[in-house]
Amino acid sequence: MTSPAISVSHLSKTYRSGLFGRHTVRALDDVSLNVPEGAIFGLLGPNGAGKTTLVKCLLGLVHPTAGDAQLFGTSAHRPVARRRVGYLPENHRFPEFLTAKQTLQVYGRLADVPHEPRSTRISNLLAHVGLADRRNAKVRTFSKGMLQRLGLAQALLNEPDLLFLDEPTSGVDPMGRRGIRDLVLDLRDNGATIFLNSHLLSEVEKVCTQVAILRGGEIVREGTVEELTTVERVYDLVATRLPEDLLESIDLSSSPKEPPSDPDLYQYRLQADNRGTLNALLDTLRAHDVQVESITPLRRSLEDYFIDVLDAAEDSVPD
Amino acid sequence: MASLCDSDISPAARTGSPTGFPDRFVHFTRLNAVPMRPLYGLFVLTFRELWAKRIVLGLFVISSLLLIGIALALNLDVVEGSLQGLRVFGEESSGSGPSPQSPQSMSLTGIVVAVESVVAGAAYWIGILLALFASAGLFADLQAAGRAELLFSKPVHRVTVLTGHILGVWTAVAALVGYLMGGTWLIMSIKSGVWNARFLLSIVIIVGMFAVMYAVMMLVNVWSESTALTLIVAYGLIFLSLVLTAGNELTPHLGSVGTAVFWGLYHILPNFTEVTGIVTTLAKDQPVYSWYPLISSLLFGGTAYGLTGYLFMQQDL
Repeated sequence: MTSPAISVSHLSKTYRSGLFGRHTVRALDDVSLNVPEGAIFGLLGPNGAGKTTLVKCLLGLVHPTAGDAQLFGTSAHRPVARRRVGYLPENHRFPEFLTAKQTLQVYGRLADVPHEPRSTRISNLLAHVGLADRRNAKVRTFSKGMLQRLGLAQALLNEPDLLFLDEPTSGVDPMGRRGIRDLVLDLRDNGATIFLNSHLLSEVEKVCTQVAILRGGEIVREGTVEELTTVERVYDLVATRLPEDLLESIDLSSSPKEPPSDPDLYQYRLQADNRGTLNALLDTLRAHDVQVESITPLRRSLEDYFIDVLDAAEDSVPD
Repeated sequence: MASLCDSDISPAARTGSPTGFPDRFVHFTRLNAVPMRPLYGLFVLTFRELWAKRIVLGLFVISSLLLIGIALALNLDVVEGSLQGLRVFGEESSGSGPSPQSPQSMSLTGIVVAVESVVAGAAYWIGILLALFASAGLFADLQAAGRAELLFSKPVHRVTVLTGHILGVWTAVAALVGYLMGGTWLIMSIKSGVWNARFLLSIVIIVGMFAVMYAVMMLVNVWSESTALTLIVAYGLIFLSLVLTAGNELTPHLGSVGTAVFWGLYHILPNFTEVTGIVTTLAKDQPVYSWYPLISSLLFGGTAYGLTGYLFMQQDL
């Protein structure tokens, strides 16, 4: 049995500051999660939720106060655990006196990439992120978007099986953002696992297969994007027009709308308390000669879900 | 997919000893797994970073001007191994008659060691003070937000990072000191035919004392993360070493506790000022009667590096 790409078990981190460490901030509180190989995992949460601390614990940058974190079955604080890992930090800062090529040479050496594949990969990656013509330009002359693309290139130098991306599209124009999204999907198709930390929920929704929401250092929700965004027992039905008497008898949560593609079809939103009710409803429709085109569970945007979850968590906090 | 756990260890070491080699061979295999590539990467990065600083470039330019000055301005008229005349910028260095300072009254060796000891003394004090100033922010930069994440997310042990950084700084400073003093030695030796090899030992001592003071800066930095405090403490210790040389004059006025504290500090802290004597003595090609100031300073530096390593391992980045 293969280990999950990321395995976190009861992880806690308390920062101490001040004289004798009297001031404490609990950044992570008993966090447990598993990310299987090949997944694109999105970590969401408001500022100060503990997202960066969690990523830093996974990369051995921060020592957890309690609990355990593993990458591919190896304890995350061991350097060897990071051999198959790439990381693009938020607000990264490269040495400004180096050129793009020199920067990748240095970070390639640090990632222990041998000379021969390193040189070839550097050329390929610089071309891939659109910096081939700036390879000999000093990093200090780069724009935010260019730095972000260079950061992505350094994260990919060791051909990682697990890639941590912290706000990867920050400062990147829409075309660049699209490029990064395509790259993430390419990597996923090649078997890599992606751990995405982003505030751009629309981006997360487009690429992630699994998400977790962190708030106040605790995971408040976790699941697939589909699981989290599906509204329970509410469906969108596309069918031929329902007779008036039937319309009054079934539980519709909105008035019928005509789908744009076909004038004979109408869209209804209906609620069914359980599977039995839903099937009984479909039987009724068929008995009334209604032609069903499709019935799909209602989904809302990840952004709406995220805000609802945070609001609910806010309300549950005692005054 | 292969397990990561032992991928940095060769199969022989991982599986024990398939060929029946005793444990010491397995240990040898593990030693081979020292990550030389990351170590070299850190070394290069640090070396380049220090040389990218204007102050280091300035020191290089000043050293070059000094070497050109010695090469062009100082003319020694040597006939059959003895000094017949000394000209600086084409002017005779002495007045009309012989004086204690006139070339006729000084031996050729005396002139050479005088120039070399002045250069060694200047390199020791001015060179180290400026090199400390130039390198003060380097370690802080390594731990700075945005840089640390890039660096320490690589599969590299913190001790390797620290070692590569230290070697890079030492090498950069050694290159600068070696350039100035080695150049001086070469020019003076060629001009005079007096090859004072002990002068070259002072290069090692200067770099060694820089290393001791850099250890102090790293220790303060890893504890406080303040570059300013780092410099204040390093320069403060150098100033304190000036006071500590006056032990025989000061301790009679201090009382028993004060005297004990004074001598305690003398033996524990780096004896920066007293090591100047060793540097100039070597430059003068004279025997060094006590290496104690250097040895106690090096011990202090070694302890500071050890503590820095320990604290750095515990640190959250």
